[in-house]
Amino acid sequence: MALLRAEEETKVRGWFAELERPVELLVAVGPEETPLAGAQDIDFGAEMERVCEGLAELGENVAYRVEQEPDGFPRFPAVSIRPEGRDVGVRYDGLPWGYELSSLIGAILEAGRDTPSLRAESLAALETLDRDLTLDVFVTPT
Amino acid sequence: MLLAYRCALASERVTATAIEANEFPQLSQEMGVWAVPRIVVDGEPRRDGAVPEAEFLRRILALPA
Repeated sequence: MALLRAEEETKVRGWFAELERPVELLVAVGPEETPLAGAQDIDFGAEMERVCEGLAELGENVAYRVEQEPDGFPRFPAVSIRPEGRDVGVRYDGLPWGYELSSLIGAILEAGRDTPSLRAESLAALETLDRDLTLDVFVTPT
Repeated sequence: MLLAYRCALASERVTATAIEANEFPQLSQEMGVWAVPRIVVDGEPRRDGAVPEAEFLRRILALPA
């Protein structure tokens, strides 16, 4: 099954063509998959690879690679979104299907920017941080 | 979710992880996830729902409204 509808794919190709720097997707797969009611025999790790491979095909500046149980990943499958291959703490844990695929695409677009898209006031507020901040955002595909 | 990612990409102090709630039900239960998006800051839930950028920053930085 195609990752995106034809018109969506065209849009994403256009966006990825405008990336200002390369983005790497590091796919982390684990020893076993979390059972999910109703998911039957879906291999979530393999599906994550398929999603990231499909996205990487849409732009020269998007690449992906797969590692088995890499350090720093508490849950699997997961994908780390890395501007120029650097781990900057941007991750999606679980399979970004349905509506959540747009979150992953959005992360790639932001990671591919030379300058952040946040407003100046927001950047100034972040500048005041004098400690590390861990954000976990629970999402669902619908 | 995108705002969290934008913050992480803008600040070396910030990390941002999206967690698919259905795939990790035990963790979701521990974090009391009843509605999404649920924002958890340093392990502490900070209300639910999508909000504008300024409000998002207020919530994660615990700034006064």
